[in-house]
Amino acid sequence: MGRPEPRVDGRLKVTGNARYASDFPVANPAHACLVTSAIAKGRIVSFDLDDARAVPGVLDILTHETVGNEVHEPKFFGSGGTASTIHRPLSSAQISHAGQIVAIVVADTYEAAREAAYRVRVTYEEEDAATTLDSDGVETLPATKVRKEHKNPRVGDAAAALRAAPVTIDAVYETPTQHHNAIELYATTCVWSGEQLTVYEPSQFVHALKHAMAEQLGIDAEDVRVISPYVGGAFGSKAAVTPRTALVAIAARRLNRPVKLVATRAQGFTIATYRAETRHRVRLGAQRDGKLTAYVHEGWEATSRLDDYLVGGTETTAHIYDVPNVSTRVNVVRTDRATPGFMRSPPEVPYVFALETALDELAEALDMDPIELRRINDTRNDPITGAPYTSRSLMACYDEASRAFGWRRRNLPPGSMRDGDWLVGWGCATAVYPTFMGAATARVRLARNGATRVEIAAHDLGTGAYTAIAQTAAERLGLPVAAVEVLLGDSALPAAPVAGGSNTTASCCNVVAKACDGIRRRLVRAAMRADRGPLRGRKPSSVNFVDRHIAGEDGAKVSLADAFDMLGAPMIEEYAHWLPHGMEPDALKKLHLGSAALTGGAMEDRIAAAFGAELVELRVNVYTGELRVPRIVGAFAAGRIVNPRTAHSQYVGGMIWGIASALHEQTELDRRVARYVNTDLAEYLIPVNADVPDVQAILVSEEDRLVNPLGIKGLGELANVGTAAALGNALYHATGRRIRKLPLRIEDVL
Amino acid sequence: MGEMMSKVKVSTTINGDPVEYLCDAEETLLDVLRDHLGLTGAKEGCGTGDCGACSVVVDGRVVCSCLVLGAEAEGRKVTTVEGLATGDRLHPLQQKFLEFAALQCGVCTPGFLVAAKALLDRNPDPTETEIRFGLAGNLCRCTGYDKIVRAVQAAAAEMRKG
Repeated sequence: MGRPEPRVDGRLKVTGNARYASDFPVANPAHACLVTSAIAKGRIVSFDLDDARAVPGVLDILTHETVGNEVHEPKFFGSGGTASTIHRPLSSAQISHAGQIVAIVVADTYEAAREAAYRVRVTYEEEDAATTLDSDGVETLPATKVRKEHKNPRVGDAAAALRAAPVTIDAVYETPTQHHNAIELYATTCVWSGEQLTVYEPSQFVHALKHAMAEQLGIDAEDVRVISPYVGGAFGSKAAVTPRTALVAIAARRLNRPVKLVATRAQGFTIATYRAETRHRVRLGAQRDGKLTAYVHEGWEATSRLDDYLVGGTETTAHIYDVPNVSTRVNVVRTDRATPGFMRSPPEVPYVFALETALDELAEALDMDPIELRRINDTRNDPITGAPYTSRSLMACYDEASRAFGWRRRNLPPGSMRDGDWLVGWGCATAVYPTFMGAATARVRLARNGATRVEIAAHDLGTGAYTAIAQTAAERLGLPVAAVEVLLGDSALPAAPVAGGSNTTASCCNVVAKACDGIRRRLVRAAMRADRGPLRGRKPSSVNFVDRHIAGEDGAKVSLADAFDMLGAPMIEEYAHWLPHGMEPDALKKLHLGSAALTGGAMEDRIAAAFGAELVELRVNVYTGELRVPRIVGAFAAGRIVNPRTAHSQYVGGMIWGIASALHEQTELDRRVARYVNTDLAEYLIPVNADVPDVQAILVSEEDRLVNPLGIKGLGELANVGTAAALGNALYHATGRRIRKLPLRIEDVL
Repeated sequence: MGEMMSKVKVSTTINGDPVEYLCDAEETLLDVLRDHLGLTGAKEGCGTGDCGACSVVVDGRVVCSCLVLGAEAEGRKVTTVEGLATGDRLHPLQQKFLEFAALQCGVCTPGFLVAAKALLDRNPDPTETEIRFGLAGNLCRCTGYDKIVRAVQAAAAEMRKG
């Protein structure tokens, strides 16, 4: 661990041999194509399917008239279930959002299915739909009312502190609707063999998908297997189970033939989840020396009528700085849209944008360097509870990033740095992500020749989980990484948590290390008891596993093969489970039922989070308003880094995500009809190589002895937090114009 | 319906091997590669030519195989990601993508490799800007952009050495 091993799955990926869900060959598949609703609210009056059925090769067309009650009501993941929505697909004529699945056409070929899907004619009775936060007809409710476990962090008397503060900020910030747009499409292939169902679907939680299918189809969970060894990008979109899977399973059961669905890019905008638009009112109070005295944050988040999804990001922002008086409140706004869901750093991206922009406004009001303002308000303890951080290196990150960036050459006044036709601005912001962990199980098998197999139903979304887990087992057992085979992404393997909340490395490496330790104990015991063995009588704690040997401190050693012979067995297999600190005891049971329960972040007795500092240069063309980002420097500390190479990739990728999120991405809403406008990769803007600057990620060393036995914090969702605020703050520094609404676009500065 | 409709018989060359297949007239080259020939390296990311994940080379030109019909491959030479390595020996681009960590989820990687190979075949010594713009038809969402450019630069340098 700690070495920059190349990805163990890399070779399969560069040769085109890694199998993603839609790559699995199945015998004689029928192909499915979805038909989605043209209206956002109302009901289906009738279908005209004659033209569609006339297309040669069409096998079946499923609508609510054929499926009806077949799908049992899914349980919403926001209430402890597995599904992205409680909506029962094709159960009634009711339409609750644009792009809802209204029919599924199955044919011998994809082309026939698609042609027939276009020929399905639906007559609707349309009602007025409420599109977004300020639309007529929305329903706004406090989060505490819709989610009983929701807490609005608060401490002290923020209202009084605000009134007394000599310097205050009071501003409204907005973030847009965004879609994950992983390059891999939403694909599902279902194969029945008698009572047994196999699902090939890209998944961030194969055990949840397995149990969801059992619940929704009314079958035994042990009859369901989900296979998803490689996932072509997910970013949260493949965590909760969406309505399509049960429909594909039903279509395959009706035909007694495998059915394969690859939804179109446009359909992906409405058949799965997205990042909902948010609004924030942030008020800050401070003394003239920069010490914060009050922080008041109220957030509004769009959700659907059916499900109250909420991110509640003040649960993160309230704990970052040393503020004695905090008051927060979160509201959900029910609209006639699909239910939103996790998207990379769900709470942090919008809420940290609001707070970190407000802090920049405060620094400006105080005529103070914005990094200095953050230093003054740095803390070692949770300001809400007083509990200590398990470790925290925010200012170390700022120091390293500042040095690399050359921050001290920054002129303070806005508009004071110009290079020819370009106004130059430098901005900064804090990145933060709470450290989450989940209960996990794993099986490890070590053979006499050193061949090791690790089995765990974890998920590698491109994050490097295969490699980090292989490194963990290799280090514990004293083997080269190449000796370790890692199997992931299959519900037949021991259960592991959802690949969400950046918990995978911490949860899975800890449980795999625990299983390896079980193997070590058995071999060490055998080596110590063996007559005339070189380690006879040693203390177990005095030996280590190095280079295919069990070695004592004095150089005495026993080879693995000899230790196996002393044990009298050709191989050892160990199963382990691991419960992180603060986890409820029934977590293992919940895990086996596909529950996404995680622990971490702000706990009663401690608080765990990874931090970073992001410094950016933004240039604005004085004539065209064109915005360019020539460079970005981020420094991050996340406890023990299992693999600096894959961690570096996550940080660089995260910062580029942050740039995309701040400057490019917005799903445009047609407010008249509650529909999306730009549902393809030509119109939904994401950067290409030519848009991306010099990106520098610095790994700041940090040791955390408390957070978990291996000292690992998650980092996949760290680096895209704060980037938007840093860019907006740089835009202000360049132009003197404060833009409080994302994305930042040319039209904002013209 | 396959049997009921007239199929097109296509003779082509894929990764150096002569290949014959039957496909429907409206079937894309991408679907032929993936569903009929088992070459699943090329991925579908959009079906509209926006993402480049299905990139293949046809007669020296990078194309989105989702926008080319299977029938159009008649008499042409097609290279897919499966054709880059020589036996167990990786192409320098594949090797450098591994060394420079220029991939994460890997679903865009085949398209990037194919497009980068076509770029280097045309221009063995591209500038950084030429690489950035030359690969602007390929989207990476994870995103490995900067590292991809470094990997292509390193591979180009190695290939020039021979």
